[in-house]
Amino acid sequence: MAAGLKTVILLSFVLAVGFLLVILSCALWANWLPLLVALTFVLAPLPNSLFRNCATDDFGAADYAEGSGPIDLGHFMTACIVVTGFALPLVLAHSGVIHPMACVMSIVGGGLVYGTILSYTAVFRADPDEF
Amino acid sequence: MSLPRAAYDPRRVCVIPFPIVPFMRHKRAIGVYAAGALFAMAQWLFLDAAILSAHARPPPDAPYDEVPVHVTFVDWVPGICSTLGMLVVNLINRERLMGEGGGLSLGGWGEGGVVWRARLFLFLGFALMAGGLAGSVTILVLKYIIPEWPDKYEYYGVANVAQNVCIMLSAVVLWLGQNTQGEYEYRLAL
Repeated sequence: MAAGLKTVILLSFVLAVGFLLVILSCALWANWLPLLVALTFVLAPLPNSLFRNCATDDFGAADYAEGSGPIDLGHFMTACIVVTGFALPLVLAHSGVIHPMACVMSIVGGGLVYGTILSYTAVFRADPDEF
Repeated sequence: MSLPRAAYDPRRVCVIPFPIVPFMRHKRAIGVYAAGALFAMAQWLFLDAAILSAHARPPPDAPYDEVPVHVTFVDWVPGICSTLGMLVVNLINRERLMGEGGGLSLGGWGEGGVVWRARLFLFLGFALMAGGLAGSVTILVLKYIIPEWPDKYEYYGVANVAQNVCIMLSAVVLWLGQNTQGEYEYRLAL
């Protein structure tokens, strides 16, 4: 269990660094629009987790190969939200609303936050399969 | 004497067979993710132009000049058409489309038949998407290239065309991705 504990500590550290970068990118230039990036990346895993169980039939067997509309919708929306998270600061910086440095910082911070969420679900979803 | 057993699928098309990509199992998910990413990229390309236009200022050496051209509602129309077209194309039931009719009383190619209607809607969807693309090129030429604005303003029209191309690509990727039979072929290949 020590490995799991270390993973949790490492992930929470990365998450904190990500949020620190996003909040710094807002606070240094007193322009709080980049905070939307953090919100976007936090919302990104939501469609997938909402629609995950839609592919299972009555016997609990996942049969995604046959094709499942809700699952596809979840994937589509996830990709849309992730691209939005990266595109939003770029667009804001392009039109001069936020400083270019704030754009870079919020993208890196948002990427760290989203990477944390992804790896957290990947690490802790694999655990029940082993037992 | 016997020939060595062929290690390849005899129905192959190419001399050198395509390699089996290990993540072929997730082909469908990857296609759908790519389609979503393309769709969001398309919308953000156009929104970039719109936001840039909303924040456009006259040059500092002539502060009393007016900005010559803005993104108006006309520029939004092709993107709306393409998005509607993509929606229509993806709302069609695939099985209805593939049926050759004859068996069911409602199916078939007759006037008002299910297959006939499905193909009519498919045509409408593709016509909406192609119309959006053509409309965006029209706007690029008529509104931005012929009046010979500086390059800064031509970007609005180029972004509009790129948006519609990306939406079309997204629809194609989604269509192809959903039509693959990932798991079944994968099991056969094993």
